[in-house]
Amino acid sequence: MKEVPVKIEFNKEWIVTKLSVGEDRMLLPAPINKEILYKSISDVSEKKNILIITVKTDTEVVYKILSVEKVLQFLKIHILPVCNAYRLMAYFMSPAIRGGVMIKEAAWEKGSVVVVKSGIWFVSATKQISVPLSEVAAIELTKRDVQGKPTDVIRIDYLDAAEVVSSLVLCPLSTLQVLYNFLKDTTKSMDMKGTELDGVDQQVAMLVYSGMDSHAIENMLNIPHKQLDLIYDKILTLGLAEVVIIRREIQLTPKGVRYISDATKSQTN
Amino acid sequence: MGKILIVDDTLFMRTLIKNILFTGGHSIAGEAGDGEEAIAKYQELKPDLVTMDIVMPKMNGIEALKGIKAIDPGAKVIMCTAVGQEQMVKLAIKSGAKGYIVKPFQAPKVLEEVKNVLAS
Repeated sequence: MKEVPVKIEFNKEWIVTKLSVGEDRMLLPAPINKEILYKSISDVSEKKNILIITVKTDTEVVYKILSVEKVLQFLKIHILPVCNAYRLMAYFMSPAIRGGVMIKEAAWEKGSVVVVKSGIWFVSATKQISVPLSEVAAIELTKRDVQGKPTDVIRIDYLDAAEVVSSLVLCPLSTLQVLYNFLKDTTKSMDMKGTELDGVDQQVAMLVYSGMDSHAIENMLNIPHKQLDLIYDKILTLGLAEVVIIRREIQLTPKGVRYISDATKSQTN
Repeated sequence: MGKILIVDDTLFMRTLIKNILFTGGHSIAGEAGDGEEAIAKYQELKPDLVTMDIVMPKMNGIEALKGIKAIDPGAKVIMCTAVGQEQMVKLAIKSGAKGYIVKPFQAPKVLEEVKNVLAS
């Protein structure tokens, strides 16, 4: 077994310790004293530099492991191929598009797609990319040109650090269909009819997507702020956006006007 | 910072791209609504960079790109199109496009791509 330095959350505190990592299990030392078989891990997710694993035996126990990227990668390489998950061999391109810009150096990688409870992982010898289901924005069964032939692929759009990222998965059509159905089913709550927003509402939503602020949107669409507020309300009610900042417009009082007048005088004198 | 020609058949997209480019400190050389107008405006305005929509009336973006490249082989053109039309990438790159953005796009990434292409 190989020992790696980590911090593990135990009784709401982070314990500095060394984790023993073997081929099929890992040992969490005292005071946790727990042996975890990789095949008993039912979920794996990652947030920043914390690997979150759920171990299912009689009950479900969640362990949070904090470490540097190199150590976490070592753990993921051991856990992901063996953990309790739906696994399919595939080629993937991740990321293929980031923020609407095609990644020039993006290439198809041979590896596997590991589907766990909270998301999917793209796993190859050098990459382990986590896509939480809660961040999946769109799934489409589409075609891409692969070695000169139009080929069936799945495009998965998801949010990563506020950027919209698209990844592609390529494998036999029957397997793609299974993956597509699974992803569609687990993200069903996000489905909409497409008729909830009218033309101007959709334009506002697209401008928000592009990073425009309220002032820019009002100017671009030539709409008063009250109308924009109503559209924002509609978008918020539908759960399509969230409020990140509330700005205020202010008007000077007579005291403020006097202050500015005096300040101007002192500058010109 | 560059002087940029925006080519798109919809006013909404032209306005959006214009706003994004303004926030990045770029200036707008001009706008065109189709491929033919794009070639004419390129000759007239000599911009540092062109953002070119692909699906447009009269002459599409790929044809316009070829037309611009015939006038100026060093022209810097970023192609811009909708999701699902990425298969046009190869054709566009083969025709001399320096970059490729997919609608809908996010401002910081577009500015990054513009910066990269201008520096190339």
